Amino acid sequence: MPARGYSEAMLRLENVSKRYSRPDGDRVALDNLSLQLERGTIMGIFGPSGSGKTTLLRIAAGLRRPDRGIVTYDGERLDQMSGAERTRFRRREIACVWTSRSWQEKLSVRDHVAMPLLVDHCGRRSAERRTREALLACEAEHCVDMKLGELSDGERQRVAIARALIAEPRLLLADGPASNLSLVEQEGIMVLLSSLAREARVAVLITDSNAEALLRADPILYLRDGKLVNPEPMSELGRVYRLPSGGSRRSAADA
Amino acid sequence: MSAAVGPKGRMSLKYALLGLLRERPAYGYQLGERLQERFGPAWAMNSGHLYQTIKRMKKEGLIEDVDGAEHDRDDRHVFAITDSGEAEFQNWFEKDLGGLRLLRRPLLVKITLAGPERLEDALKQIDAYERDCAGQLKEFSRQRDEIPDEDLRVRADHVLLRLGLSADISHLKAELGWSRHAREMVSWLLNQDAVWPGRRQRLGSSSEEMRDRRSAREELFGRIARRQLRPMQDGSDQDDAV
Repeated sequence: MPARGYSEAMLRLENVSKRYSRPDGDRVALDNLSLQLERGTIMGIFGPSGSGKTTLLRIAAGLRRPDRGIVTYDGERLDQMSGAERTRFRRREIACVWTSRSWQEKLSVRDHVAMPLLVDHCGRRSAERRTREALLACEAEHCVDMKLGELSDGERQRVAIARALIAEPRLLLADGPASNLSLVEQEGIMVLLSSLAREARVAVLITDSNAEALLRADPILYLRDGKLVNPEPMSELGRVYRLPSGGSRRSAADA
Repeated sequence: MSAAVGPKGRMSLKYALLGLLRERPAYGYQLGERLQERFGPAWAMNSGHLYQTIKRMKKEGLIEDVDGAEHDRDDRHVFAITDSGEAEFQNWFEKDLGGLRLLRRPLLVKITLAGPERLEDALKQIDAYERDCAGQLKEFSRQRDEIPDEDLRVRADHVLLRLGLSADISHLKAELGWSRHAREMVSWLLNQDAVWPGRRQRLGSSSEEMRDRRSAREELFGRIARRQLRPMQDGSDQDDAV
């Protein structure tokens, strides 16, 4: 039985605005943006760099507070929590996969994936079991004894997702989870994320500068200058018409 | 591009030409242009095929050349419909189409017969097909938009060409949807340890691995799914909830 107050909406942004002040004047990152993300769905947002994708993810993750607007996570006001509250909350509920090239290359995959559990004082043995399980679920169990620096791009993404899932979040935010991957690896990641949404009912929000890398997401929205632009035509032809020429896609033979 | 579904029987070119010549006589080359102007871009064809059909129709006495001049090439002749051509057209017009014939996609045959080794190549061809469809769709939509709007007097040929183009457009939309679907399915299949017809099934470590992955995924995803149904609680007891 769903608990009282259960709603399909996991994350809700209402009229969210955010500016950054720069020496050369303020820059609007998000401009009165609203969206609703439901359980068990993958929302894809694409837009050029500087369109506000990363700011949107940071606000959704509770890492930044919006200047104006409301951020609700499963009915709770994320924007009104104190910094410490948000951090506690985030660890429990939200997982993020950032395009991080700043990994400690010498760290083992095992320790990297288990880190969120160890920080949370989970026992070594339980952490080991759950690490193996998360890596298996993400089809990266063969990497467990490798160092982060030894992973291929596709393996890095799978390991990053395994690490994100280890705390069993209900919201997954991923910045370009399938970018810079071959077509086949890209599809593999999207299959993993869609079964995560379908089977685990996790709400997934992914962004990419390339719409092609989001093709399993539904809906796919276009972000420009901090606003979501005309999402409707994306459903049918728009998806193909708006595709950038695919500069970042390598041939499938590289896989 | 052939129609996704069409009437059985391959002779519709003959009747299309007869129909056009009923309206007025035309040079051979004009018929080629007129086919596209009236029925839409699906009727683009190489002139060899067209003139062969014209030649055959002339031999059957369905059309005749009426300029009387000596030309060695059929495209320079002016053709008109004969009485027997008129009868043939009427007869065809009154007949039923005789059921549908579904399109046999060469691409689908390639995908189906690619086998595990060539599946990635098939994927590239799907990509190319998808781009092709999108490109043509854009072009046909542009052509449809370029047909002038009716003002004082409705022009039947404009209205009906719009109808012809919309046939191609809806077909291409369907193809585009299908090719996208094909791409997803094939990429997915690429990642599977699938059984292929005519191949000996691989057993042993690899399927064991798959089983482990599947059960880990069911276990982990199932636990997360159950979390969705509980009201939020403080994180402290989460780790022991397993």
